Amino acid sequence: MKKKLVALMMTVIMAGSMMACGSSNSGSAGSSANGASQTSSDVTGASSDTAAATGSDPLNVVIWDSNQKAGLQQICDEFTAKTGIAVNIEVKDWDSYWTLLEAGASGGDMPDVFWMHSNNAQMYMKNGILLKLDDYIKNSTEIKMENYMPEITELYTYDGSYYAIPKDYDTIALWYNKTMFDAAGLSYPDATWTWDDLYNAAVKLTKKDGSQYGFCMNPSNDQDTYYNMVYSMGGYIVSDDHTKSGYDDPNTLKAMDYVGKLVKDACPDPTTMSETGTDVMMESGNVAMIMQGSWMVSGFLQNDYMKKNCDVAILPYDKTTGKRASICNGLGWAAYSGTKRPDDCWKLLEWFGSKDMQLEQAKLGVTMSAYQNTSDQWVNCTDVFHLQPYLDETTASTGDAQNELVLRPYTYNSTVWSGAAQTKLAAAWADPSIMEQTCKDFATEMNQDIANENK
Amino acid sequence: MTSWEKKQFFWGWLFILPTMLGLIILNIVPMFQTLYQSFFRTGDFGKGNVFIGLENYEKLIHDPEVWQSLFNTFKYAIVEVPLSIIIALVLAVFLNRKMRGRSIYRTIYFLPMVVAPAAVAMVWRWLYNSQFGLLNHMMHVKIEWISNPHIAWISIAIIGVWSAIGYNMVLFLAGLQEIPRDYYEAADIDGASGPRMFFNITIPLLSPTIFFVMVTSIIGAFQVFDLIYMVMDETNTALPKTQTIVYLFYRYSFAYNNKGYGSAIVMLLLCVIILITVFQMIGQKKWVHYN
Repeated sequence: MKKKLVALMMTVIMAGSMMACGSSNSGSAGSSANGASQTSSDVTGASSDTAAATGSDPLNVVIWDSNQKAGLQQICDEFTAKTGIAVNIEVKDWDSYWTLLEAGASGGDMPDVFWMHSNNAQMYMKNGILLKLDDYIKNSTEIKMENYMPEITELYTYDGSYYAIPKDYDTIALWYNKTMFDAAGLSYPDATWTWDDLYNAAVKLTKKDGSQYGFCMNPSNDQDTYYNMVYSMGGYIVSDDHTKSGYDDPNTLKAMDYVGKLVKDACPDPTTMSETGTDVMMESGNVAMIMQGSWMVSGFLQNDYMKKNCDVAILPYDKTTGKRASICNGLGWAAYSGTKRPDDCWKLLEWFGSKDMQLEQAKLGVTMSAYQNTSDQWVNCTDVFHLQPYLDETTASTGDAQNELVLRPYTYNSTVWSGAAQTKLAAAWADPSIMEQTCKDFATEMNQDIANENK
Repeated sequence: MTSWEKKQFFWGWLFILPTMLGLIILNIVPMFQTLYQSFFRTGDFGKGNVFIGLENYEKLIHDPEVWQSLFNTFKYAIVEVPLSIIIALVLAVFLNRKMRGRSIYRTIYFLPMVVAPAAVAMVWRWLYNSQFGLLNHMMHVKIEWISNPHIAWISIAIIGVWSAIGYNMVLFLAGLQEIPRDYYEAADIDGASGPRMFFNITIPLLSPTIFFVMVTSIIGAFQVFDLIYMVMDETNTALPKTQTIVYLFYRYSFAYNNKGYGSAIVMLLLCVIILITVFQMIGQKKWVHYN
């Protein structure tokens, strides 16, 4: 009896440990291969070893957006075919991506090539985590930094040196459900819409029985939703010199008051929104409008409901300021300064940044590209959605409104306050009457966070 | 020391060496490093730490979020520990009898233990989802299981109980096998009822196992993190009333990049756990019978 029990326990434990082994093997296949290449190559003769390592071990690339993986894999496959350097792309979710990078940077074991984001690029550049690209760029025929959108290049420049090759840029637009608008007898959103029009339509599209809501936004929808409202109404999140919070600015408060109104009158319960993302709510036909970034397009293209019922419009503008603002951001391709194969890494960065591949990225519908004048290709990547509004935001004006591209607000280490904002604002989402006080309180806290940065 | 004793000494240490090494490298050294780090304002990527003495602890004492999280942890433990012990004990007693399909039941109850905790949490997160979740769908209600501050902590504790039952049950089964059948036969002859035998024979003779399970369960409950991390979103309104002390530690150490303060938080947890365990060790004399 006892033996049987022990045997059962042993079996289960063994099965468990085998499963654990199995998963860790598959998960870290890339990193262990990379580890092997590191031990085989000498620290001092890293570049001379490159030739030996080439072709045998894949370069380890880590990104956070699974929607982009297929397209980027294709670009990488072409790279492998041309150079013989294998590339292994691994996708992490946003949170664990930064935990991984941070831990990797502290412990000295990073992926070879990865994405950099304006949120904490400053911190990575200052601490010498990223490979300095100046010399490579000087000797390259493919890469000329002036070919990329200057805003994006600026994000990854520190002390006059370049640390990443601009990959893409993104803007925000309004997604709407045509079927719901038709059913309510409302005309589709267009360039004449102000924020008041959006509010009125959203309220009309909200059904009392909870089966349909006009709009959807969670405190985590900062860059894609409420930041745009704030800047459009003349407020700001971070001052231009990146030292002060704008959450207590009167115009910001005005915008946040509008946010509160919208949440209260036309959005699902804040609790529901905190459990289910706006994209899922839209895809499942629960909401009539959301604001989303251009990076979501490739994901939406895989959803049949979206393809059948939804389309894209330009963001509304503010009547008082006459301004339409879209937050804009761009990622950069960066390499680890401690990589054992800097030359191979550079070849890959150069490949990603070359005009052909930037065009390819746009054509495949991965994202808009940071290389100037390549984004028309992206608009044409599908005829299901009209993607032109994403591009219109980058022009000087549309209709009566002045268009303004605003770089996603950032400081030295934005993760701290942008994360805290989400948690703090959740209370104001639940009870919009405390919105003003919450924002004012948070401004104090955020100023403290910024003051503590970079000490 | 005789040569026999020397040999014993040598082989004894050799056999425990792998475990000792693992413990020292993975547990004991980091423990002291954490203590050390809690006196610093940590720099980016672990470089440029500045010594600030007790400043982190001062902040900790005046931080309501810390005390709320500690309270949340207690709430979680108070639901999770007794339930997972009582249910597991009852199941173990039933599954210790001769019955058909006993091994199958044992395996089924143990299965949650084999599944990765992150996967468990992911599945439960969707079961609980207020909009699309299976639970609400089947019961035709719209309960916000994981975003209503009043019930979210119970929902989380239920997942904890569900995943812990199997493990506790196997430990109890092992303990039950140690109890000689003679006691039950004697009691049976004297005409004792089932419950009477359970309370007067099973519980006292199983008390060392119960004690062990209790100590480890409480420690485990105080260290709960993965469930909260996987199930609750950062913007969840119930988070302030649900987040545990280890979750808070994670947020400060890894999301907010403030490892010094994170270390101070985890030192507080260490003290709480030590205190509770000491009380349990003292208390056990009253109710645990070692033959």
